[in-house]
Amino acid sequence: MTNRNIELPQGTLDLLILRTLAAGPQHGWAISERVQEISSDVLRIQQGSLYPALHRLERRGWVKPRWGTSENNRRAKFYELTRSGRRQLELEKSMWRKLTTAVAQILDTI
Amino acid sequence: MKFISDLNFRIRALFQRKAVEVDLDDELRSHLEHEVDKRVRAGAPSEAAIRGARAAFGGVERIKEETRESRGVNFIENLAQDVRYGLRMVVKNPGFTAVAVLTLALGIGANTAVFSLVNGVVLRPLPFPEPDHMVAMTGGEYTKGPFSFLRAQSRTMDVAAYADEAEFNWTGIDRPLRIAGASVSANYFSALGVAAEEGRVFQQGEDQPGTDRVVILSHALWDHRFGRATNVIGSRIMLEGISREIIGVMPAEFRFPSTKAELWVPLHLDPKDIGDFWYSSYMPVIARLRPGATIGQAQAELAALRKPMLAQFPYPLPADSWQKAGLTSLQERIVGDERVKLLILLGAVGLLLLIACANVANLLLVRAATRLREVAVRTALGAGRWRIMRQLITESVLLSVLGGAVGMGVAIYGLPALKSLLPADSPRLADVTVDGRVLLFVALLMVATGIVFGAAPALGASRVDLTNSLKAGGQRGVAGGNHRLSKSLVVGEVAISVVLVIGAGLLVKSLWLLSNVDPGFRRETILTARVTPDETFCEVSGRCQTFYSDLLGRVRALPGVTEVAAVNGLPLGGGGEVLPVDIEAHPTRPGAHNHLLLEKLVTTDYLSTMGIPILKGRGLNDLDASAHSQWVVLVSKSTAELYWPGIDPVGERIKVKFQDQWRTVVGVVGDVRESTMAVPLESYLEGVFYVAYGQQAVQGSGTETPPAEMTLVMRSSQENSQIGAELHGIVAGINHDVPVTHIEPLQGRVIESVAGPRSTALLFSFFSALALALGGVGIYGVISYSVEQRTREIGIRMALGARPGTILRLIVGQGAKLAVGGILVGVVSALALTRLMAGLLYGVGATDSLTFFGVALLLFLVAIAASYIPARRAMRVDPMTALRTE
Repeated sequence: MTNRNIELPQGTLDLLILRTLAAGPQHGWAISERVQEISSDVLRIQQGSLYPALHRLERRGWVKPRWGTSENNRRAKFYELTRSGRRQLELEKSMWRKLTTAVAQILDTI
Repeated sequence: MKFISDLNFRIRALFQRKAVEVDLDDELRSHLEHEVDKRVRAGAPSEAAIRGARAAFGGVERIKEETRESRGVNFIENLAQDVRYGLRMVVKNPGFTAVAVLTLALGIGANTAVFSLVNGVVLRPLPFPEPDHMVAMTGGEYTKGPFSFLRAQSRTMDVAAYADEAEFNWTGIDRPLRIAGASVSANYFSALGVAAEEGRVFQQGEDQPGTDRVVILSHALWDHRFGRATNVIGSRIMLEGISREIIGVMPAEFRFPSTKAELWVPLHLDPKDIGDFWYSSYMPVIARLRPGATIGQAQAELAALRKPMLAQFPYPLPADSWQKAGLTSLQERIVGDERVKLLILLGAVGLLLLIACANVANLLLVRAATRLREVAVRTALGAGRWRIMRQLITESVLLSVLGGAVGMGVAIYGLPALKSLLPADSPRLADVTVDGRVLLFVALLMVATGIVFGAAPALGASRVDLTNSLKAGGQRGVAGGNHRLSKSLVVGEVAISVVLVIGAGLLVKSLWLLSNVDPGFRRETILTARVTPDETFCEVSGRCQTFYSDLLGRVRALPGVTEVAAVNGLPLGGGGEVLPVDIEAHPTRPGAHNHLLLEKLVTTDYLSTMGIPILKGRGLNDLDASAHSQWVVLVSKSTAELYWPGIDPVGERIKVKFQDQWRTVVGVVGDVRESTMAVPLESYLEGVFYVAYGQQAVQGSGTETPPAEMTLVMRSSQENSQIGAELHGIVAGINHDVPVTHIEPLQGRVIESVAGPRSTALLFSFFSALALALGGVGIYGVISYSVEQRTREIGIRMALGARPGTILRLIVGQGAKLAVGGILVGVVSALALTRLMAGLLYGVGATDSLTFFGVALLLFLVAIAASYIPARRAMRVDPMTALRTE
C-alpha cells in the first residue's frame, strides 16, 4: 500500500457527510477534517466533490445551512441534519451494512 | 416535502442568483481560511500557509462550476449566461454581426416568403367544412347530360358542377356592365357546405328550366354596387336579357371557383335542348363524399356507372369514353399544377439558405481562430468541452434568431411583391398570409439554421489543444482541420450555386425561346376589345350581323384606324368554338372519336388585320359572309397537312356534324398559337378552320344564332386609350345596352400568356443571383483568410525571388481549385436535380449542355474574380514587414 488515501467508492460520500453531521452541525472544512481524522487519514474528501455534495444534499432537503461562527472565530456555513436527513442516514447506513456484509461474506467464503 | 424543498432551492438558486453566488464564494473562502489557520497553527509562515492551502484546495472555478451543476439549475442559468455573453459578442463585433445577420436574413427571409406561398396554396386546407371529403372528377370531360346522370345515380357522392369563366351582361342600369361569374348546379353550394351571408343559396331544382331565374351575388359586388343594402334580396337584375331575382349574397371569403367570380347563376339543365344538354362545353364536376363513403367506393361506383352513362347519350359515343375516369381531391385539382412549381422554388430557397449557412459558418471558423485563446483560457479555468460547445452554439443560434427576425421583416414586406410577381390567375393567392404555421416554420428554421452553421465551428473550437494555443501566445494557430473544413464548405457553396444558377439558366432560356416563338400573327399596334350584345339579342335573325357590320363600319371610319375585324375568340387563350367535324376524305369509323376542330368565326378582314398569311388558295371576301352563297372555309397549315398530306386541300370538303351543308376549303392559312405560346393547340383538338361571320356553324340544335360574344381587333396608329374612349361612344350610339370590355393591346396578351413561366424564371433567377453573390463572397472570404495566414510564407517566397505574378497565380489558383471542385460537384448534382423541373421547361432539355457549360464558366469566372482581390493584396505584401510581424 504505497497510497495512504483510498478513493471513496461511489455514493459513500453522502453517507459520510450525513454521518458526520449526525454528531451536530458542522461546516465544510470541519467535515472534511473530521472524516480524515476519524478514518486515520485513510479517507480524504476532495473539495471538488465536498461542496457539490453538500449543495446536492441541501437541494434534497437532508441538510439545512446556517451561517455561524466557527471554533476559530471565523464566519462559516454550518450544515445541520434535518429530520428527513436523519431518516436518510439510517437508510443509507443499513444499505451500507448490507453491502459490506455481503461483500465480506463473498471475500471470506471463496 | 422533499419536492417542495427541491423546488424552493432551485427557484432561490435561479432568481437569487447573485446572492447564491456570493454565498458560495463566502463558503469557499471560509474553507480556505480554516485551512490556512490550520497550517499556521502547525507552524508554517503565513505566506506559505496561504500558498499551501490554495494548492490543496484545487481549482476554485471548477469547484464552483460543479457545485452550481449540483444545484440543478445550471442548464437555465448557463443558457441565460450564454445568451448574455453571446449578446455581448454580437454587440462588440458589429461588422461581423451585420454581415452574418444580413446573410442569414436573406436566407431565412426568402424561405419564409416562399414557405408562406407553399403554405397558403398547397398546405392550407380548402376553406370548406371537411375539405378532405371534397373530390373532383378526372380522366374525362363532362357535359350537362352526363353530369345530371351522375348526380341522379350516385349513392356515394353529392355531385355538383360549375361552368367557370362565364361573363354576363348586366343591363338596365346607367351603363351596361359585363360581370364575371359562374353557372353552377343547384346543389353546388350545399355540396361545398357553404351558406349565404344574406338570403339563401340555390335550392334543389333551381337548375331546371322555369325555376332558374335567380342569382346570387358575391360580397364584393353587393358591397360595390348595392352598398350592402339588405333589401337587395328579392329585387331583380337584368342579366343577358333575362330578369333574375337576387336570392342571396355570399360571404366575402367565398371565392370559388375563382376570385374573379362576382355572381352565380344556376346551370340551365334542359334535357330537351339536346345539343346544349349533351354536347355543350365541358364543365368541371366536383363532389362531396356522403357520410361514411370512401373515395375508393366512389371510384368503384363511378366505374360501374360508366356504361349506363354512355347508354344515355342520344348518339353513339366511342366505346373507350371515360375509360380513365377517376377521382382526385378537390385541393389537388385546384393547386395541382402550382405545386411542382412552388416546391421547386422552395427547394431553391432552401439551397440558398444552405449557402448562407455555409458562409456564416465560414465567418465563424475564421473568428474561431482569433478566439482560440479565449476558448483555451476558459477551458483552463475548468469549462468542459460540452460547456464551450454549448456556448458557441448559443451564440450562433442568437445570430440566426437575429437574422430570422430581420428575415421575417423582409418576408412580410416582400410577400406582397412576391405575390404580385405571380400570375394574377394563380390559384388561392388570397389564402397566402403569414399565419401561425409560417411563424412556427420560421422559428424552427432559425434554431435549425443556428445549429447547422454553428455546429462545425463549435466542434472545431471545443477541440482546442490547450498547451499549444496558450503557448503560441497570440499567434493565429488555427488548426489545419478548420481550414480544411472551411474549404469544403466553400466547395459545397459553389456546388449549390451551380445547381441554382443552372436551374435559373434553363428557365430563362426556355422563357427566351418561348417569348420568341412566332405566334403566327403580327402583334404590334393591334388593339382588341370585346363587344358583347346579350345572347337573346342575337336570337332575332340578322340583328347581330347588322349590329357588327354597323360597328365595324363606324370604327373603320375613326381617324388612325387602318384595319378592323371581329373574331369569336382571340388566339392565345383557346378562343373559338369547338365543333365535331366530318372530313370528306376521312370518315370516322363507328365507335371512334369525332374529329374535333376549333372554329374561328371571323369577319372577312380578320386575316389581313392580324397579319395571318394566306399560303394557298384565297382568303375570305364579302360574298362568303352570306348564308346564301357557297359555304366555304379556310384551314390552317397543320390541319391541311393532317388531313390532306401532299395534296392540295383547296376544293376538298368538310362538314360540321348535325349541319347539312358541306363546306368547301378555299384556302390554307398560317398556323397560329391558339392555346398558349408553348401549346399551339389543346391536345383534344385536331385542327383549326376559319368561317366567315354569316356562315357560322352553331353548336347544338343547329339554329343559326350567331355568337353574341365577338372581339374586335383594330390596327391603328392612334393612342390606345383614345380609341378605347371613342369605341365606348360608338357602341353606345348603336345600342345602349351593349358593354365594351377587355380593351387591351394584343401585345399584352402575348406577354400575359408567358406570365407563368416568366414569374418562375424571374423568382428563380433572383434567388440564384443571391446564391451566386453569396458563393462569390464565400470564396472571397476563404481566400482572403488564407492570404492573411500565408502572409509569412508569401513574404519568404518573395524574399527568395518570387515575382508578384507568381504570387498572383498561386492565390488565384487556390480559388480556382476550390471553384473547379465545386463546379464538378454542382454539375453532377444538377444533372440529377434539373430533371425535377422538366415540366417547367420549354424547348430546352433538362440537361441542356450549353446552359451547363455556360454556368460552369460563369461560376469559374466569379471564383477567379473573388480570389483576384485578395490575390492583389498578397502581391503587395512587403517581405520585410511580413517576416517581422510574426
